[in-house]
Amino acid sequence: MGISSIFDIASSGIAAQRLAIEVAGENIANINTPGYSRQQVVMENRPISTANGFALGTGVQISAVRRSYDGMLQQQIVDGNSTYQQNLTRQQALEQIQPSFNEVASDGLGKAVENFFSSWQDLSTNPSGSAERAALLSRSQILVDTFHQMNTSLNTVAKTADNNLVGITAEVTDNARNLALVNTQILATHAVGGNSNELLDQRDLLLQKLSDKVGITTTLASDGTASVTLAGGEDLVQGTSYATLYTSASAAVPPVNEIRLSGLGNPPPVNNKVSDANISATVGGTGNSLGQLGGTLQVRDTMVPAYLAKLDEMASSIVSAVNTVHSAGYGVDGPPATTGNNFFAAAGTTSKSITLDGGLTAAKIAAGFATASDPAPTSSGNNVNALKLAAIQHNSFSFSTGSATLSDFYGSVVGGVGIDTQGAQNVTAQGASFLKQLNALRSSNSGVSLDEELTNLTQYQRAFQGSAKVINVATEMLDTVMGLVR
Amino acid sequence: MRITAGMTADNAIYNLQQGRAAMETLQEQISSGSMVNRPSDDPLTTRQLLDLQNQISTGEQYSSNITKGELLLNVTNTALTSMSAMMQQVKKIAGDMASGTVDASTKAGALSNLTQLKNQLIDLGNTQIGSQYIFGGFAEGQPFDAAGAFTGTDDALEVEIAQGSRVATNISGGSLLRGGTPPATVGAGATAGSSPTDVIGGIDALIAAITADDKTGISDGIKNMKAAADQITMSQTDVAGRLIRLDNMKSMLANNQNTLKSIYGDLQNVDYARAGVELSQQTTAFTAALSTTAKLTQLSLLDYMK
Repeated sequence: MGISSIFDIASSGIAAQRLAIEVAGENIANINTPGYSRQQVVMENRPISTANGFALGTGVQISAVRRSYDGMLQQQIVDGNSTYQQNLTRQQALEQIQPSFNEVASDGLGKAVENFFSSWQDLSTNPSGSAERAALLSRSQILVDTFHQMNTSLNTVAKTADNNLVGITAEVTDNARNLALVNTQILATHAVGGNSNELLDQRDLLLQKLSDKVGITTTLASDGTASVTLAGGEDLVQGTSYATLYTSASAAVPPVNEIRLSGLGNPPPVNNKVSDANISATVGGTGNSLGQLGGTLQVRDTMVPAYLAKLDEMASSIVSAVNTVHSAGYGVDGPPATTGNNFFAAAGTTSKSITLDGGLTAAKIAAGFATASDPAPTSSGNNVNALKLAAIQHNSFSFSTGSATLSDFYGSVVGGVGIDTQGAQNVTAQGASFLKQLNALRSSNSGVSLDEELTNLTQYQRAFQGSAKVINVATEMLDTVMGLVR
Repeated sequence: MRITAGMTADNAIYNLQQGRAAMETLQEQISSGSMVNRPSDDPLTTRQLLDLQNQISTGEQYSSNITKGELLLNVTNTALTSMSAMMQQVKKIAGDMASGTVDASTKAGALSNLTQLKNQLIDLGNTQIGSQYIFGGFAEGQPFDAAGAFTGTDDALEVEIAQGSRVATNISGGSLLRGGTPPATVGAGATAGSSPTDVIGGIDALIAAITADDKTGISDGIKNMKAAADQITMSQTDVAGRLIRLDNMKSMLANNQNTLKSIYGDLQNVDYARAGVELSQQTTAFTAALSTTAKLTQLSLLDYMK
């Protein structure tokens, strides 16, 4: 062995340090790239030669560019994201619903019901008064309007959720397509034995984005590709092929969005509403507990209908109780005064359909009731029925949550909305702090530290200079040897 | 644990957010003056607040009912007081006629006096507030015609003054002035002065007796008039009793309302001293967080490398 082996050693050093500086440069460049994992060069000495009579290495080589990555952590982040996004979606919907029920800050349905019965009290003190009758009519109309308005605002929340499904499924499909593409690239890189660190980062980021939208189960193959199944076990991404997740209108009136999944392929087969599976029931996970999609479905299918059902219960109780008493009474539209008139339209027993009876006029309001001395009330001063109607306010009704007066029941609905909203806010806040913790751990492991890279940079630069110096020395040595010959 | 600049930045953003959120809550409480601004702030307190609101507004409705009831009963009372005074005059005239030996002009004067008093009683029986005849029961029109026949009803016009508790705000004109519907028989001989008494009919009978110089009739009339005066006095007592009941209920309601409102205030009103102290604590913490964040994020090895 001669001087030329010094050149070999030095040039291996120069090449290795240059590559290390490249990696440090890559790290610094990607310091703010989401999902990027810090890379480290692993240097090792080259095979030992005994040409000198004793074992000495033949320079340095880069054995690997390793990515700092914790698969377990990645999985936890994916799971945490799904739950967090579901809670966040619910919280946002509840925060839209809550103002309608915010009886603490402003007058709502509770006050409207109270005012309705107060008007009957007022009428009972002056049953023939036309002012009292007009006030009762307008307050009843306000009660009906408040029911309608709450029904509308709840339905708007459900409608918005339904519309959001279109965008969410489109994003899922988009991410699935990208994941299939990344899988293809990983395979290609793998085939030529290349380094696919950045592709793996992209793969993980796409999985994370998918988990935001929908609950997924991921399987990582040994070649680095990822396959994804949805909560119901359907394949979304399988190697290099993917499926389309899309919405189609149901047959219901008015139609709602159903979630369907096409077959696998690259590109996948054209959407076919008839043959593609309807996975609305399973895609959100158990109880629609996963991802934005799960949260949105829960808002549309569970939360809003539950609140609407409570409002409907109230509307139906008011309508039937008031009508029963009202139709037994007599108006002042005589002679002869009419009886048997409904106050609310009998058919309207939901918060959407409740209306005042079409034939109701101020004079037909039945404040009077047959008494011993006024058997078929001809007297406009008869207030017996008005008192009976006013007393309905304190009647207990049998509601789905137990027996309660109207205002107690409504109070419990408002409290329920408060508890639901507070609960959603709490779990969302917990989820956010849990994710922050996980991301901090990920960042601690995989994040780029500028200080560290700068230190490395200096280190590698000096080593590079050292190797260059060695070449310099070897050149001089060669010159010296050449001088001997001359 | 390895700490990167990215972690510091994430932590800073998260903690600054928390600080801002805490200050925002305090600011909202202070500016609205309410502890509970939406049900989710405190669902259980919300429940209590709604309950209290409900009780307070029910109480207000009852107070308003009581005020209307008092108005009706006070007008009734005034009418009854006048009726009572008239009955004193009727009794006196009847007493003056008891001897039966009076000259014609005195008799004529007494008769015209009695007729006038009867008409006034009928007028008082038609007393009204607004369009409501207070002695007419449920009927809308004048309860007494010129002859004193009662066309109203005997129903009690009740108002609710507490849950399930009702007070009649009228007394029946028929029972008051005619002793019932149809009118009671005017007492004569053994039944004279019996109760209930037909006041108007009694005066008519007295006028007839005086005109005919019927001594027995006049003496029956005196007894009848005494019973009639008693009957009106009793109604007065009855009305006064109800007014006292309303008054008691009113002050009880007022007490109740005060208690409810003070409980409501305890739950809902912001303690400004506490909120102020908390806000200043939060502000201090937030300022400190801002200043450390500003300092830490500036630090980099880059500044020291040539």
